[in-house]
Amino acid sequence: MSIIEAIRKNVYDGDENNTIELVKKALDEGKRAKEILDEGLVAGLRDCGDGFERGEKFIPEMLMSSESMKKAMEVLKPLLLEGAGGASTGRAVLATVEGDVHDIGLELVATMFETAGFEVRNMGPDVPTEDIVDAVKADNPHIVGLSALLSNTMDVMPDVIEALEKAGLRDSIKIMVGGAPVKQDFADEIGADGWAYDAASAVPKAKELRAQLPE
Amino acid sequence: MTYYMYSNTQEVTPYERMMASLNGEKTDRVPVHFYPRWAALEYIGATFKQTWDDPDLYVKGQILAQERFQYDCIIDYDMMGPVEEAMGAKLKYPENDVPQIAEPLIKTKEDMKNVKWKLDPRKDGNMPKVLYVIRRLKEELIKRGRGTQHVPIMTWGSCPSRTVACLTGFKEWFLIVARDPDWAVELMEKALDGWLQLVIAAWEAGADCVWVNDPVSSRDCISRDHYYKLTQPYERKFIEAIRKETGMNITMHPCGNWHDRMDLVYENQADCYFLGPMDIELCTKIAVETNEKGLSRVKALNGNVGAATKSTTDGQTAVPYATTMKRGKPEDIEKESKAVIDTVEAADLRCILGTNCWDVKGSSFANRDAMVYSARKYGQYK
Repeated sequence: MSIIEAIRKNVYDGDENNTIELVKKALDEGKRAKEILDEGLVAGLRDCGDGFERGEKFIPEMLMSSESMKKAMEVLKPLLLEGAGGASTGRAVLATVEGDVHDIGLELVATMFETAGFEVRNMGPDVPTEDIVDAVKADNPHIVGLSALLSNTMDVMPDVIEALEKAGLRDSIKIMVGGAPVKQDFADEIGADGWAYDAASAVPKAKELRAQLPE
Repeated sequence: MTYYMYSNTQEVTPYERMMASLNGEKTDRVPVHFYPRWAALEYIGATFKQTWDDPDLYVKGQILAQERFQYDCIIDYDMMGPVEEAMGAKLKYPENDVPQIAEPLIKTKEDMKNVKWKLDPRKDGNMPKVLYVIRRLKEELIKRGRGTQHVPIMTWGSCPSRTVACLTGFKEWFLIVARDPDWAVELMEKALDGWLQLVIAAWEAGADCVWVNDPVSSRDCISRDHYYKLTQPYERKFIEAIRKETGMNITMHPCGNWHDRMDLVYENQADCYFLGPMDIELCTKIAVETNEKGLSRVKALNGNVGAATKSTTDGQTAVPYATTMKRGKPEDIEKESKAVIDTVEAADLRCILGTNCWDVKGSSFANRDAMVYSARKYGQYK
């Protein structure tokens, strides 16, 4: 097993300490930070997400995997930002909607966005709709990312979109939605611009949507 | 017997209808119970916070809304928090939502020493306010006599797993489940009594029945194995303790998708299950099977017209009940209601028609009416 494969497996297994040691070792061996991120950490987390879909992994195991990735990102992030050359990809405001205290997915999306060069305001879980509107007014972001884990809080998402419309902000932003119960058909139904399956696939979708807005 | 939408001339009272169904018996028709918090608040034009600050306004909302919508059960404050708050957790009170935990009370094992585990519901925190509302609801209903508004009051209790998740924070709870199951057990053991004492006091104050819920042990959250070994035994212990102390009929709400563990859920020994967004045929079939094996005592299923998701997240079992209560039309409610009634009653379990999650904020009155109308139209016992 290569060191990158070992990182992938340890993220999947949620072994935080081993993951960090292996990432450090991979860097010492001359592996590129981007390769470690994409083929090790993200791949391991995606495996875990697939396991979740298959009913083999659950939130505790997902959390262990995401904790492993987050800790390893502390080692990788400075190197990745250095590699991005300091140019901003765009601005993003991210929040889990009001009434929903879950932030695992949100944290991962924030981390992935940052490493992709987005300037991120991560508002955390359980954010009142009016606070999201205020943050959009203040930051003038390109992307607004809304997350919900609960089936009864996903219904808050259309309220946020409506509030942004009422505030006259809708046309200047692209809205992405995500979270376990949220699917493409729901995103279409509520008038969101984009949906992504997981944190990793949220990045190319955000870049695609960003490109549709003027500089 | 003829029923009209707003007739007050029914011969069976909501109390008789609802309590009979919870006991597996038939009266005139299927009752309706959809945990009408928002129906009541929206009917009187008040926010949750306004009614929290003025308990009599909450009572007024429950009484008037039942009179208007004609469903078969009313609820007390029915919210998270009073026990956790009395234990020491800080709550925040949004303008129009139920209180939420502001920050976790238990971050380390050391923090357990700072928790007030032994509680007196008549004195501690805001629990006396919860009990006051139940007493006032009972008084109002008695004043209105045994006729049209002889309506049962349902109170609420939190399963130990949920209580602990509130005290530690949900994320930390799941990490405890993964990393330190012994601590998870210790926490649930300690957390059980607080809510049990409040449920007992609620019964003494006038509550007629109780529902308990667990939103943290579904297939969306933890494995079947973790459920079986860790949280299910404490759900059962909680339910059996309530029955022993109060004798009330108990409804359990497995919140979310529990398709792969409904057999274990039914073994909790509740009388009724308020189903989340799950397949009604599957849930009914498993209830019949566990009953036949003598493992459960399911008498009624409450639900599960779509209040929430379009489909479950297990990728296998499609659930056709869309976000009907909020975005559907009355004819959609009628169609789904009929499917639920037909399925449950065909298995000789009692159907208590309701939503598949809490009554949804912002649902149209027409949709809520449609559910009561559907019970009258399709739920008549011959």
